[in-house]
Amino acid sequence: MSYFLQLVASGIVVGSIYALSGLGFVLIYKSSRVLNIAHGQIIAAGAFITYALTVWGGIPIYISFLMSLIITFFLAMSVERVFLRRLIGEPIISVIMVTIGLMSILDGLIYMTPFGAENFSFPEFLPKTPISLGGVSISWTQLVGVIITVILIVGFTWFFKRSTLGISMRAVSDDQMASMSIGISIPKVFGLAWATAGFSAAAAGGIIGNITGLNFDTLRAFGIIVFPVVILGGLDSVFGAVVAGIIMGLIQQFAAGYLDGNWGLSGTADLLPYIILLIILLFKPHGLFGIHEIERV
Amino acid sequence: MKNKKTMFISILLAFLLILAFSSPSMAGETYKIGFSGAITGTTSDVGVPYSKAIEDYCRYVNDDKLLGDDKLECLIRDDGYETEKTKRNFEDFMDEGIVFYLNYSTGSSLAMGKDFDEEKIPTITASYHAGNLAVSNYAFLPIVSYTSQAIALAEYLVANHKGDTAQVAMFIHPSAFGRAPVEDLQKAIAGGLKMDIVEVVEHGKDLDNTAMLQRWMNKKVQYVICQTVQPPVATMLKSAQGLGVIAGTYGEAGKLTFLGLHYAGGPDLVALAGSAAEGFFWTTSYKLMTEGGAGTDAQHALAKRYGRDEATANSQNYTNGVQVIQIAVETMIRAKAKGKKITRQALYEEMLAMNGYNAYYPLTTVGPVTYSKTDRQGVDMLQLYRCQNGVFRPVGLPFAFTAK
Repeated sequence: MSYFLQLVASGIVVGSIYALSGLGFVLIYKSSRVLNIAHGQIIAAGAFITYALTVWGGIPIYISFLMSLIITFFLAMSVERVFLRRLIGEPIISVIMVTIGLMSILDGLIYMTPFGAENFSFPEFLPKTPISLGGVSISWTQLVGVIITVILIVGFTWFFKRSTLGISMRAVSDDQMASMSIGISIPKVFGLAWATAGFSAAAAGGIIGNITGLNFDTLRAFGIIVFPVVILGGLDSVFGAVVAGIIMGLIQQFAAGYLDGNWGLSGTADLLPYIILLIILLFKPHGLFGIHEIERV
Repeated sequence: MKNKKTMFISILLAFLLILAFSSPSMAGETYKIGFSGAITGTTSDVGVPYSKAIEDYCRYVNDDKLLGDDKLECLIRDDGYETEKTKRNFEDFMDEGIVFYLNYSTGSSLAMGKDFDEEKIPTITASYHAGNLAVSNYAFLPIVSYTSQAIALAEYLVANHKGDTAQVAMFIHPSAFGRAPVEDLQKAIAGGLKMDIVEVVEHGKDLDNTAMLQRWMNKKVQYVICQTVQPPVATMLKSAQGLGVIAGTYGEAGKLTFLGLHYAGGPDLVALAGSAAEGFFWTTSYKLMTEGGAGTDAQHALAKRYGRDEATANSQNYTNGVQVIQIAVETMIRAKAKGKKITRQALYEEMLAMNGYNAYYPLTTVGPVTYSKTDRQGVDMLQLYRCQNGVFRPVGLPFAFTAK
């Protein structure tokens, strides 16, 4: 039983981090219908900024983590302002192509820093002894990661449900023309969507970097790894990202725990989430919680 | 008078022209070496210091006139760890007239073996896959193969294991690089090596390895041999630390003792895994900068001379890069000393003659570089290291090992 519970605990930990990582996709798509292909690079940038402030800047890690969220918030907003604003009204594919270009630019910029060529890890600021409860162990790093994830997801959910800005973003997502007619500034909403996505990506980067260490290739890969999560949850649903993240995390852990290494099976933890994603999409093409738009002619 | 002046100017111009055109041969020849590797993309954390080492040593050769009046030109190109780009780079290098080639990944080394043979160009690969030697007679490994490293580690593991047959899991990269030593290790076990390989796991981009580690614990696994790069090992070690299953002493019952081949360990692993790397056993043929000594001091001086930072100067991958170009330059020096013209064939012959009294001592490795027609694995010595207080320290003395 403790084996099962351990897999559940680990699945929830991994899943919630997937959810946070996938949130950036959702936030941008929700307001602008654009897929940001450079999301992994922003995750990595967030982690590197935290490290730079902590180790090179000598700032306590708690503060540098918060500062990296703010810096990435404005960085992502600037990216939208410089590269994407002038594409408002252009075909979506053009905007996606720009994000592919953005990915290359960010790659290049990061390769020009020590982070492109060296490995680092955050200073160890949490106890090394794991927390054990009823045969289930979880590290402090994972626990703190989950707590931050929960706080941010609750915050984002509140933001979209209750705040004026959040409701404006949802309105723009539903109908840009109608939103403009009631005075909502579309460019401002798009800028805010990118900024909040940068904020969440930096948080994800900090948490993932604390778990895996800071390797550019590993960190940016999470931009792709979480893609099935946001597809499964529905590209425009924060709640969907959370549920799908946890489903994916649990599937991976159960596959690794019960299938891999038995009956000659190997690698099912990597494969099974994609099989389940395909099956679910057969029945729910817009994901578990995605909005199915009906166009009337 | 005017005619005399014109004639004088004409003669002077002709003389200057002759001087200008003849000056390159007076200044010596230029030999070209090509390197294609991952300066961006997957494993660029290895490829960047590796390429910097090649660039720095190349400058050093010219600045200190190691080749006399002759010059060395190093063509360094990024392939992003993609074989088709490597092949394109190699073809460009051949058009440029290189006489020695330095390759990088296992995949491209296997895929381009025939090209090396067709072009008859001596090639040293950064991949230590024994299979590279099977596909090309012109391919050389700078140190012993992954197979040799894995069997050496396994022999150490068995020799120091107490109790019944050692239960071992392998954690490998999902590629030809990762799979390279598995079959040979299984053959060694079939040949009498007293250990069982319980599982061979090809890892993905994991965020957590709890389930895999728990599964191994249930299967009574005690040792994990890693044949991959440092980032996935770091994630696994952190998961193991989170579960409290890292052995405090070698082979501690009920815990896992982790061991790794060349690219799985070293200072980069400590940089990523922090305290979770404590107790990790690692084997390589290279000296570590933390050990000091003539070779490591020289490496440090080289990096400093060309403005590299401390991280690059101390990188094990910088050491690897220095060693491969050292070997290439040494073949040139030897060929020149024999009065040979520097050609691909001449350098290939010098590679094959690098043995016995002609063995080469680059000082950055724990043993000499030796090659022959039957042995194209460079350094046949290995050193076992163990991570203690954040630094890899030697365990015992270097030992000779080449699995046949």
